[in-house]
Amino acid sequence: VGVSARSEKAAVCVVDDDPLVLNSLQLLLASDGIAARSFNNAETFLAHIQMHPVALVVLDIWMERMTGLEVLARLCTLSPQTRAIVVTARDDLAVRATAMARGPVAFFIKPFNDEKFLAAVHDALDPATKS
Amino acid sequence: MKEQHKIGDEDHKKKEPFYAGQGRILEMIAASAPLEDILARIVVLMEAQADGLRCSILLLSNDGKHVRHGAAPSLPEAYAKAVDGLPIGPRAGSCGTSMYLRKPVVVTDVLTDPLWADYRDLAKGCGLRACWSTPILSSRGDVLGSFAMYRQESRGPNAEEMRLAKAATQIASIAIERQQDHVMLREREARISLVAESADLAFWVLYPEQNTAWMSEKGRAMYGFTLQEPLTAVSLMSRIHPDEQAAVRAAFEQAQASQQTFEIEHRIVPPYGKTRWVIVRGRCLWDEHGNVLEIIGVTIDVSAQKHSDLQLQLQREELAHLSRIALIGEMTASLGHELNQPLTAIANNAAAARRFFDRGQIDSEILKQLLGDIAAASHRAGEVINVIRGLARKGKSTRILLNLNALIADTLRLVHSDILIRETTIVTEFDPGLPDVQAAPVQIQQVLLNLIMNALDAVSELSPAQRRIVLSTRRENGPCAEVSVRDFGPGLPVDGSDKVFDHFFSTKAEGMGMGLTIARSIVESHSGTLGAEDAEGGGARFFFRLPAAQGLLVSEAA
Repeated sequence: VGVSARSEKAAVCVVDDDPLVLNSLQLLLASDGIAARSFNNAETFLAHIQMHPVALVVLDIWMERMTGLEVLARLCTLSPQTRAIVVTARDDLAVRATAMARGPVAFFIKPFNDEKFLAAVHDALDPATKS
Repeated sequence: MKEQHKIGDEDHKKKEPFYAGQGRILEMIAASAPLEDILARIVVLMEAQADGLRCSILLLSNDGKHVRHGAAPSLPEAYAKAVDGLPIGPRAGSCGTSMYLRKPVVVTDVLTDPLWADYRDLAKGCGLRACWSTPILSSRGDVLGSFAMYRQESRGPNAEEMRLAKAATQIASIAIERQQDHVMLREREARISLVAESADLAFWVLYPEQNTAWMSEKGRAMYGFTLQEPLTAVSLMSRIHPDEQAAVRAAFEQAQASQQTFEIEHRIVPPYGKTRWVIVRGRCLWDEHGNVLEIIGVTIDVSAQKHSDLQLQLQREELAHLSRIALIGEMTASLGHELNQPLTAIANNAAAARRFFDRGQIDSEILKQLLGDIAAASHRAGEVINVIRGLARKGKSTRILLNLNALIADTLRLVHSDILIRETTIVTEFDPGLPDVQAAPVQIQQVLLNLIMNALDAVSELSPAQRRIVLSTRRENGPCAEVSVRDFGPGLPVDGSDKVFDHFFSTKAEGMGMGLTIARSIVESHSGTLGAEDAEGGGARFFFRLPAAQGLLVSEAA
C-alpha cells in the first residue's frame, strides 16, 4: 500500500498553523509540480490520514493544541508508511532527537534552502531514484 | 508748649532757641546720626536754657547693671571716665539710683546725701553740689539711661528745670531706642545673611508698582547681577530659563491675588556661568488698603540635588534598559520564531515564483498570491522588529493613554511561542470596564513580560497538563486598573513575599534576578504599586495597580 500511495493525488500533505507559511509551502511544492493538501492544524490532518493514504507530510512542530511531535507519535500507529519532513523555526536538539526517534525524518530549520528541501521531498516520495 | 516757650523767653543767655534746637535734634535722629552726637546736642541744648546748668546723659549697659558714658560735654573728662562702668543700685549717686529705681532722684547736696557716699570726692573735685537725675525710659517702659542736671549750689529743681528734664529724656529716649533698633536690625540681618549664605539662599524683595527690586549679595551672584546693577522686572525675567518664564510669571501674578506662599521650581540662566536649578518661595505683602506693597521671597539653589536626582533617574533608566535587553534574551524562542515564520514564507514564495518562471508556467493568479503573501510576510516581520527595537531602545518613553487589556493581548502575542514551547496554558480574564491609564507602553510591557516569564518559570516543574497561568484585569477602587498574573507553581518563598523584589534575589538558576525589582520601580514611577502574595488554592499571584487616567476617557491605544 505504501508504495502505491505516492502516485495518488494529494498524497502529500502540509501541516502548519501559520497560514502564511502554510501557503508558501504549498506553493513551493506546486512550483515543482507537486500537488499538496494543506492543513492549518494537527487534528484535521490526523482525521484525514485515517481516511486517505498519505505518502509524505511536511510538518511544523510548534502548533497550538497539538505539537508536531505528538503527530509523529500518532503516525507510528495510524500510518507508519507515511514519511515525514519536519520544518521548524527553532533548532532544538531534544526535538530533533525525539523526531528522529520516530522514524527516518528530514529536519529543516526555517527559513530553509528551497533546493535542498525539494530534493528531500523527492527523496521521500521516491527513495529508489536518489540523485 | 506755652511753658516751654516761656523757658526760652526768660533765659537771655540762651545760645540756641529751644524749638529750633529740638527740631535739629529730631532731624539728626531721622538721619540716623551717631548716637553720641545726638546725645551731646541734647545736653548742649538743655544747658543753654538756664544759667549755670550743666547736664549729662548716662546709658544703661546691655547687662542692665552698669552705667555707660553717654554725653557730658560740660563736665571734666575725668568725671565722665570715672562714672563709666559704675554699677547701678539703691545707693549709686543720683543717676545709678535713678536707673535702679526707675524714677527721678533729686539730690540737693551731694556732699551730705547718703546716695553719694561713695562718690563724694569725685563730685567735690568737679565742683558739683546738686544733682537731679531723671530716668530715660523706652516706649515699652524699659530703662535706657538717665538725664542728669548739676548745679554748683545746693538746691532742688524749679518747675522750668523739671520741664527741661522731661523734654530731654523724651528726646533722648527716641534717639536711644532708634539706635538700638538699628543695631538689632543689623544684627538680625547679619544673622539671616549668615544662615542664607550657608544654606545657598538668596533673599529678594520685589516692588511691582515701582518696577524695582532688592536682592541680597548672594542673590545677585546667583542671578548674575553686579552689586550696582539696578533690578527691574524685565532684567529679572531675562535670567529665567525661556521654558519656564511663562510659569514663573503666572506664579508671581497669582501671588498678588492670594494670601498664600507660592513655590516654583525653575532654572536660572546667568549671563556667565552655569545654568542653575532653583526653588523660589515667596509671598505678597499688602498695605491696609489692599495695595500690593512688595513680594518678598527666597531663592534656593537646588542644582546639586537636582543633579543627583537626574543621575538617579538616568541610572534607573539604564537598569530598566538592561533588564529589557535581558528580557529579549529570555524571549529568544518567541522572537526568533516570530521572525522566522514570515521570513520562511517570503523565502518559499520567492523560490516558488522563480521555479514557476523556470518551468514557463506563469499563472498570473498564482503570481499575485505569491507577491501578496510576500508583502504580508514582510509587513509582519517588520512589526516584530519594531517590537524588539522598542524593547531595546534606550531612554525614556513618553506616556500615553493606555488600555491595559489591549496591551496584555499584544504582549501575549509576543511571547506566543515561548508559551507554546513551554507547553503552558494561559487563560485571560479581562474586565471590559477596566479604566485606561496614563503610562509608557514599553515600560508597562516590560513589567508584563517580567511577570509572565516569571510565571512561566514558576510552572515549569509541573506536568504540562498542570502548567496554567491566569492573567486577569479588574477595576479597583481608587479608581485604578489592576493586572494580576497568577500561576499554579510552588508559591512565594517562605521567608517573606517581599524578598522576591530584592535586587539579585532569584530562585532561578539563570537570569539577572533583578527583573522584578525593576518592574516594581517602573510601576512605582507610574504612581502605582506592585505586590505578590500566595494565591488561594496554591501558586503565587503577582499584581500591579495603576491609577486610572483622570479626566480623559478616550483611549489612544487599543
